[in-house]
Amino acid sequence: MTLDGLQLAVLSSRMEQVVRAMANTLARTARSGVINTARDFSCCVLTGDAELVATAESLPVHVMRGPDIMAAYTARMHPDLRRGDAYLHNSPYHGNSHAADHCILVPVVDPDGTHRFTVLVKAHQADCGNGTPTTYSTSAADVYEEGALIFPAVRVQRDFTDVDDVIRMCRMRIRVPDQWWGDYLAMVGAARIGEREVERLAADVGWDALEQYAGEWFDFSEQRVAEAIAELPAGRVTLDGAHDPFPGVPGGVPVSVTVDVDPVGGRVVVDLRDNPDCQPCGLNLTESTSASSALVGVFNSLPASVPANAGSLRRVEVLLRENCVVGIPRHPASCSVATTNVADRVTNLVQRAIAELGPGVGMAEAGLVQPPAWAVISGADPRTGVPFVNQILFPGVTGGPGTPWTDGWLTFGHAGNAGMMLRDSVEIDEIHHPIRVTQQRILPDTEGAGEFRGAPGALVEYGPTTAPLTLSYGSDGAVHPARGAGGGTAGAPARQQLRRVDGSLVDLPPSGLVQLLPGETVVSESCGGGGYGAPHRRDPATVAHDVAEGWITPARAREVYAVAVVAGRIDEAETDRLRDDVQRGDR
Amino acid sequence: MARHRYTIATDMGGTFTDLVLEDRTTGRVHIVKSPTVLDDPIRGILDTVDLAAAEIGVDRRELLAGTETFVHGTTRALNAILTGTTARTAFLTTRGHPDVLLFREGGRVDPFDFTRRYPDPLVPRALTWEVVERVGADGAVVTPLDEAALVTQLQEVVAAGGEAIAVCLLWSIANPVHELRIGELIEQHAPGIPYTLSHRLNPIVREYRRACSTVLDASLKPLMTQYLDAMTRRLSEEGLAGRLLIVTSGGGVMDSAAVAAAPVHVIGSGPAMAPIAGRDVVDRTTGHQTVLVADTGGTSYDVGVVRDGDVSSTREAWLGAPHLSHMTGLPAIDIKSVGAGGGSIAAVGAGGLLTVGPRSAGARPGPVCYGQGGTEPTVTDAAVVLGYLDPEYFLGGRVTLDVAGAERAIEEKIATPLGFTTLQAAAAIMALATEHMVRAIEDTTVAQGIDPAEAVLVAGGGAGGFNATDIASRLRCSAAVIPDTGSVLSAAGAAISDLSSDFAAACPATTQDFDFARVSAVTDGLVERARRFVASTGVATELADVRLFADARYPHQVWEVEVPLTTLRIASDADVDALADAFHKMHEKLFAISDPASDVEVVGWRVRASCRTRTTPLGQVEGGPARPRTHRTRRVYFTGHGLVDATVRAQDDIAPGEVVEGPAIVETPVTVVVVDPAATATRASTGALVLRRNGDHR
Repeated sequence: MTLDGLQLAVLSSRMEQVVRAMANTLARTARSGVINTARDFSCCVLTGDAELVATAESLPVHVMRGPDIMAAYTARMHPDLRRGDAYLHNSPYHGNSHAADHCILVPVVDPDGTHRFTVLVKAHQADCGNGTPTTYSTSAADVYEEGALIFPAVRVQRDFTDVDDVIRMCRMRIRVPDQWWGDYLAMVGAARIGEREVERLAADVGWDALEQYAGEWFDFSEQRVAEAIAELPAGRVTLDGAHDPFPGVPGGVPVSVTVDVDPVGGRVVVDLRDNPDCQPCGLNLTESTSASSALVGVFNSLPASVPANAGSLRRVEVLLRENCVVGIPRHPASCSVATTNVADRVTNLVQRAIAELGPGVGMAEAGLVQPPAWAVISGADPRTGVPFVNQILFPGVTGGPGTPWTDGWLTFGHAGNAGMMLRDSVEIDEIHHPIRVTQQRILPDTEGAGEFRGAPGALVEYGPTTAPLTLSYGSDGAVHPARGAGGGTAGAPARQQLRRVDGSLVDLPPSGLVQLLPGETVVSESCGGGGYGAPHRRDPATVAHDVAEGWITPARAREVYAVAVVAGRIDEAETDRLRDDVQRGDR
Repeated sequence: MARHRYTIATDMGGTFTDLVLEDRTTGRVHIVKSPTVLDDPIRGILDTVDLAAAEIGVDRRELLAGTETFVHGTTRALNAILTGTTARTAFLTTRGHPDVLLFREGGRVDPFDFTRRYPDPLVPRALTWEVVERVGADGAVVTPLDEAALVTQLQEVVAAGGEAIAVCLLWSIANPVHELRIGELIEQHAPGIPYTLSHRLNPIVREYRRACSTVLDASLKPLMTQYLDAMTRRLSEEGLAGRLLIVTSGGGVMDSAAVAAAPVHVIGSGPAMAPIAGRDVVDRTTGHQTVLVADTGGTSYDVGVVRDGDVSSTREAWLGAPHLSHMTGLPAIDIKSVGAGGGSIAAVGAGGLLTVGPRSAGARPGPVCYGQGGTEPTVTDAAVVLGYLDPEYFLGGRVTLDVAGAERAIEEKIATPLGFTTLQAAAAIMALATEHMVRAIEDTTVAQGIDPAEAVLVAGGGAGGFNATDIASRLRCSAAVIPDTGSVLSAAGAAISDLSSDFAAACPATTQDFDFARVSAVTDGLVERARRFVASTGVATELADVRLFADARYPHQVWEVEVPLTTLRIASDADVDALADAFHKMHEKLFAISDPASDVEVVGWRVRASCRTRTTPLGQVEGGPARPRTHRTRRVYFTGHGLVDATVRAQDDIAPGEVVEGPAIVETPVTVVVVDPAATATRASTGALVLRRNGDHR
């Protein structure tokens, strides 16, 4: 017997509700700003055989692939797993995104002892024991230099009680251990809430019915994605791009993607195998983020109503190879920065490749990360004498891409989280750290122009108040900015500078550790997002509004958008003339 | 005639204005509903007053002259914001931070949905001025205020046609010196332009939220001052000598003059009162202290929660959809609203999946069965097909429903694509609407760590009785309660609400090293202001309640938990221990974890003064037009039972204490209550109906 349209709708709603309950608990109880303010975390439910069921509002790059690999690996390593267990897993070689994302997996076991589901909580830690005070070690030659503690599915609770050995290890090797401990409690709490809610759901409908639902939900989702792919133009496109030069990769990291869309077969294949081997730096992707970043690019080009789960992923294949910078890393390659920099390059190329197949599909490229406005900052707070380390997250990082429907989302974050994260309050950050933010504002004329423009980049300036401040960042996009699609132009590049006490500015490297002294500030300019569609097709009234609001200057309106804005009003005759000229030029 | 005879409460919504009239000499309550008059809302209110006066056989002037308290809830402020008709407002911010309102706090929903555009800031960048000044986190002046530059900027504000000014500077809550000086300079250089200073209105940390409340307040001042002045004048011309009170977002009432000075407090006026009414009825009916209060409207389903006798509030009240709109920045009664109501449209979407809502047929064209041109099947159409509604007795017989039209629409658009019978399809629509409503309630209970099994459900609104038993049983609630004021729940709540005001201050403290002197100085000041407020209300002190709350958290957490304290001053180590203990317990209750070994930080302190306006409960509702009292039955469809003969009873025909066995339909002039075959309905002495599944007598 199969479930009807009502039962499927009800059970998928209830399964999503389980994930929301987990996410709410984590956001409200975590100790570090990167979790409780920025919401850099994800929760999901998987079947007992490790297929992804529900993700609610998780960060796409965290969950599309990876939780499935981790759940399968955990079950394989622990044939004796049972109710009351919890597992700490952050191994980049066994399905995790990167070492700084700690995951708690709790098996949901029925009264007969059958492992029915797994609930998973993943959260970016403020610190993970790296050699330097950052969770993104761009320059680490390998995992040993990176220094993170690696837990390949390590049991951390049995019978709902902590395995103290593991807790003590963490407390000795993770900076600001009380903050880590608070976050650990919050993650376990969230996973246990998820376990409780799945058990309640099973009490209502029965374990077998719940498993049956999962199977049918996958079939339904597969059918939906096939229908959506059938609407895409057919074709095969290869696009090449590159991550900027960084320490360890002086020539940058070339990235090539081939996207093959088969609307008749209802299938998309992304091939990432024609790329360099793992590099001696922290930029290598993990199996999880290689696949997820490509999948994000594909799903960004499908209707929002297509569920992202194991069922729909049957129709979107990502081809990876071992020992590849965008593939499956070979131990001990470092994957410290695997969720952001190169991963965003993959997403950007995939969605832009789909845009090349025809009008009205795909997207432009999102701005690149992570500039000093998103640095991991550390030092000792002279007000209390207590050391601190945390990632701060100021806005406008980074410009969202123009799309076939809308302008870029201003606070997009980066391609892998798609604006889902929250940003810090200046006042909250100034309470928690001895810093002062002197300015943050959008930068005019930095958007990728288009019929739908990219979001502009932002300027953020801050520095320490009373004691030295160490910041660590890795900012892509100074050499290779975010490209436009369908005739849209590229966004402005990133830049970072140091303002000395005397006011003079000096350029800072794209990546590394920088120490600021009181009176000095860092000036961070983030990338603009790429535009979608030809700028001269943009509605002149919208262009005039952008001028009035200071997003672009009148000169740019005229030169790039072919719209004459004089004293705040559109000169229609002049605009017609300018646009005619552009069209003649096009022909 | 007795001078202090009546209490009137009105709730003006977008479609209807509801009125509750209580005659305090007889204890009888009358309910009136009448269409809102959008271009002259005060006339709409007077229309309802006339209807109520007619019902008790007096005229408008006589009724108003005998009214001691006239309470008014209104969506006017919110509507003005949503339609962009508030004052042209200038935003003055600290230099370097012009984009506080633009960046917001980030956030987005549905990661793969790129069709929704980024929200515009509450004030355009073109009306934003960066003031040269800076105060540090410790309150020290880092950059002094450049007064000369400010005066020039104020001239620019005037030249730009600014009608209101909002001032929100970084760290004005730590040191308000610059905001205060700007206030003086506005009065000097932009005289007559209303303005709001952030530290006075809403002294909370987090600049975006504080700026939102400041901007909204300033932008509402011209409009709401005019509205409230006009209302006071019209009502007094018509004879009202009693007091005019306005419902606040916080679920209390304020004198209309106080509202004009800080109109941001009435943005959530209206739905905020339903939980107050629900709490009162349940307290007197079943005695439960945890109550889920739901109000089913035509397009939305509004959910509020009462927990341990307190109505839940939120710090994150949004003007529209979360993360796609802006926050008000002020605490408000936590009302969660989802697009599921009597008018929600059912459809079969891609892949054969049934959907109900969020699209709604609204009042026009309305459900197919209204016969006003609607073609898409709605929840109300499903109710007609299932036999819940008597087509001849809808809205007391004022409207005849088109049953065949509803059946046809459901058959064509739902049953055929799904391979269901028309009755099965109607039941599926009702079941999915129930699921959306359950989810809305669960979002709230989950967020607050409430176990619905310990609660009862209050189902208000015209369509609330269709699925009250189903919702209650899905949530494991012990019962569903339908108050006799259920169709005008918010107005009923307004009639019994307290005069209240909150006084807050930021003053960090930690249990590790508690600064008794500094904290006491702050909390004593708040208590003193609260007592002055109590005195100003004229309410007897024994009816006043003043309570101290701490906004507390574990070190490094950023979201505070409001902890009620048992004393008004933290005076001893024992008091500090009690505070920490209360926080650990609250944290455990909310989030299932606590860390008793950890210190507790307090970020801010809040004193809440509530003055009860009455000592007796609201009386019982006078019955509507009499219905034939013969026992009737109707064919009604229930999943698992098919079509069965259900008893039909009129609500006021059921004696207190009488148990009506399902399957049954209980009718009132404005709604029906469905009692399914496994349930019973009992009329309580309060007039409310209590619905229970068989065998559940908790």
